[in-house]
Amino acid sequence: MRVRVRYYASFRDMTGKTEEWLEAPEGVTVQGIRDHVRGLYEKIARKDQVLVAVNGSFTSLDRVIMEGDDVAFFPPVSGG
Amino acid sequence: MIRIQVEDFDVGALLEAARSPSSGCVVSFVGTVRDTSRGRRISHMSVEVYEDMTRSQLEAIRAEALEKYGVDQITVIHRYGDLDVGDNIVYIGVAAGHREEGFAACRYVIEELKKRVPIWKKEYTPEGEVWVEGDRHE
Repeated sequence: MRVRVRYYASFRDMTGKTEEWLEAPEGVTVQGIRDHVRGLYEKIARKDQVLVAVNGSFTSLDRVIMEGDDVAFFPPVSGG
Repeated sequence: MIRIQVEDFDVGALLEAARSPSSGCVVSFVGTVRDTSRGRRISHMSVEVYEDMTRSQLEAIRAEALEKYGVDQITVIHRYGDLDVGDNIVYIGVAAGHREEGFAACRYVIEELKKRVPIWKKEYTPEGEVWVEGDRHE
């Protein structure tokens, strides 16, 4: 299964990408895809806080990712 | 009303528009670009948003505040793009029957925004660029 992931703010700088497609097994969870991304990028692996949103919402780590889901990775927010 | 925009906003006009005969007060919060941050001089700032999620998160927070505090009207505007020292960043305006719920709702919106709306600031200092990260825990 191919999953499109997007990176924001410092994570875009760390990956050098705004988005990419990752190959992931069927049934992969949010935790699984996050571990996969941490494995690809050492700078993200070193971060304490790696937030993930699926289809524009925060979600539990055991949620199963479906084909076509929109997965976004970003650091803790700092608006306001 | 929720707006996510590059353009500046007119606080006076927003406050005027928030007035209504049925509300007893208008409470507002305006966030602006400070010239220092954690001891460093700031020359300017850029603000990045994940726009779709920012809109849905702000809609949710606005609905929560209207429900929780029973206020009449809430407007939230957040800017993105390049901003100079002193520029407006965010506006929150609450029209309410009384000050207690007006202040409480305004405070709720800004505190929740800072925790869960995907917006990030990058500050430009003499030592280089620094992404500001909040302290949300998973």
